Amino acid sequence: MRHLKTAASATALTLGLTGSVFAADVSKEAVLTTYADIAAAKYADSLATAQTLKAAIDALIAEPSDLTLQAAKEAWLAARVPYQQTEVYRFGNAIVDDWEGKVNAWPLDEGLIDYVDGSYGGPTDENEFAALNVIANPTFTLSGEEIDATDITPELLSDTLHEADGVEANVATGYHAIEFLLWGQDLNGHGTGAGARPYTDYLQGDDCTGGNCDRRADYLSAATELLISDLEWITAQWEEGGEARTTLMGDVDAGIVAMLTGMGSLSYGEQAGERMRLGLMLNDPEEEHDCFSDNTHNSHYYDGMGIQNVYLGEYARIDGSVVDGASLSDLVAATDADLDTEMQLKLAATMRALGQIKATAEAGFAYDQMLERGNVDGERLVMGGVNALIDQTGSIERVVSTLGLDQIEFEGSDSLDDPDAVFQ
Amino acid sequence: MLRNLLSGLALFVSAATASAYDIGTIIDRHVIPGYETLARRAVELDTAAQASCSADSHDLRAAYNAAFDAWVRVSHIRFGPSEDEDRAFALAFWPDTRGFTPRELATLIETEDPVIETQEEFSHVSIAARGFYAMEFLLYDPQFTAAEPEDYRCALVRAVARDIEANAEAILAGWQDGYAVVMLTAGENDTYRSREEAAQRFFGAVATGLQFTSDTRLGRPLGTFDRPRPNRAEARRSGRALRNVVLSLEGTRQLVRLLAEDSETVTDTLDAAYDRAFEQAKELEDDPVLEGVDDPQQRLKIEILQQNIDRIRELLGTSLGPLLGVGTGFNAMDGD
Repeated sequence: MRHLKTAASATALTLGLTGSVFAADVSKEAVLTTYADIAAAKYADSLATAQTLKAAIDALIAEPSDLTLQAAKEAWLAARVPYQQTEVYRFGNAIVDDWEGKVNAWPLDEGLIDYVDGSYGGPTDENEFAALNVIANPTFTLSGEEIDATDITPELLSDTLHEADGVEANVATGYHAIEFLLWGQDLNGHGTGAGARPYTDYLQGDDCTGGNCDRRADYLSAATELLISDLEWITAQWEEGGEARTTLMGDVDAGIVAMLTGMGSLSYGEQAGERMRLGLMLNDPEEEHDCFSDNTHNSHYYDGMGIQNVYLGEYARIDGSVVDGASLSDLVAATDADLDTEMQLKLAATMRALGQIKATAEAGFAYDQMLERGNVDGERLVMGGVNALIDQTGSIERVVSTLGLDQIEFEGSDSLDDPDAVFQ
Repeated sequence: MLRNLLSGLALFVSAATASAYDIGTIIDRHVIPGYETLARRAVELDTAAQASCSADSHDLRAAYNAAFDAWVRVSHIRFGPSEDEDRAFALAFWPDTRGFTPRELATLIETEDPVIETQEEFSHVSIAARGFYAMEFLLYDPQFTAAEPEDYRCALVRAVARDIEANAEAILAGWQDGYAVVMLTAGENDTYRSREEAAQRFFGAVATGLQFTSDTRLGRPLGTFDRPRPNRAEARRSGRALRNVVLSLEGTRQLVRLLAEDSETVTDTLDAAYDRAFEQAKELEDDPVLEGVDDPQQRLKIEILQQNIDRIRELLGTSLGPLLGVGTGFNAMDGD
């Protein structure tokens, strides 16, 4: 306790400088402008890396080989870095939350899309179409309707297949559908290794493995095209005059609430709860965010970083340039400098805990291995992240209260209609 | 100078007593008795399972339902000892959107996994195979009620009962041995830096509990008008879906009354809203598993109950929140 206090005040000294520059005249408008600028930059970066991914996927389809498959996988991994940092914009900005299911829905019943191992099972109580396998079936019946899927188009994926039968696990589009088509199922359980789809799944003609290589290539192409058009759309919403930015700036107090809602909801309910702790408690290797590619450690890490850079008002772009400006941190420091220090320390502690998971995973102890029953070290690592995220949520709640925003949440007309959008 | 300071202080105190909820009273009259009942019923469940592990044992099923009742009444208190060591998660893993519970149970039985032999080992098993919802499969689902080998099935029933007991007792002990003091000394510790933070925790528990009942207990089976999902009703195998809705409302109502104690207006407003919800629930008594979600007339009744609960949630925000001077904070249902 005492130790923490000393550490905190020492940090306050060093951080105090940056804080005080803005403290006098930081306005909520300026803070929101930085927030919107960072959103625009993050989505533009997500779009740019998705375009690179598309080029790599085109090359894979044109000339399937270990090399082109590997290049496509690397492009996918790179594309996730900016995208995961945008997740903090979801909760609180209804326009983002309504849209994001198209690009980042998870978990998915991948049997909807392509062949799966026998251990996957068939249709379930929850999802009749868990094993539909569109790639192998040009026609099928969906909720009583005969579907012609002879041509696999972006429209087929987005309008017919995605969330088919109203089941969220029917994820037909977005990063994770593409991930599955590049990596395939991870059949290693809690053992070493990610999905190992062979490049021959894309070979046309007699050497095709897994069947229907033409339709698989069409699916991958269509999903990638769709990802790009979806990212183009959201990027435009954050540009000057875009709907997301206009809505945000329309009511400054509600805008600040949106920022904090995003930070708190992602920290607590979503990341600490749904994504990390639940997977650990279920001991299920499939209960990891990027289960095909074994990239979950990075998903968690960049989600955490997104929360941190919203608070600090600073984002390092994929080209190394920095977008920064007046921040929530400045705003808090102007009211309660100690609380600002506390918030910064908590965010840093989370990044340290998530960094330990990332470092360990990259050294060979994969995230799915950490989830194994009775794996004490894995549990400690994951719970380190969970506890840090829960801890920082407490400070975010204090920020809400210090900024006098804790009653505003109920004023919005959507407070109960859209429980994700507000502090419930 | 001193006089000014004192009268300033007096003003402050009287402003604060306008919402004189008492954290100690809430703990003594709501939290502790609730968890004491749960712990007692859990011991009885364990005893019943030891006496007879047969799925159709009347005593075992009665003990199971009594313990489940006690859990639902306190299930909104999702902070502190219930969250330590994942105890509440292990007592109540639902909704199970990906069918983990039957799969995990089937795997344990198929492999005759010796992990069930000791409580220490069993406490590392997936939460999907533990707690009230796993026990429901074991006692009510034909896939499990007569699963072979019988010895293992029986031992598994006993392991789940023993685990429920261990978690229930640990939560109660956690409150008695420390957490109650943490809340009572709000303002003097780092968990609760003020009395308002402690009040906010309780207020948030009510809001979350009501949200869960509306969105999940009712919302999941309701689905959409075109695609209702009767199979998603909570604990439908044991016929408890509506019962759990009512019990959860009783649980939060008690806490609301204690939080609103000093304001008759707020108490009356919220009481009236709760009464409407209970009356509406009575309308559904002939449909304990809410299977009427796909019958337009019956569905309407369920939707009205959901609206009644949402009305309570709204009133929390507009009346009780301002009275306490707190917001609800974040909860586990934020996110997807």
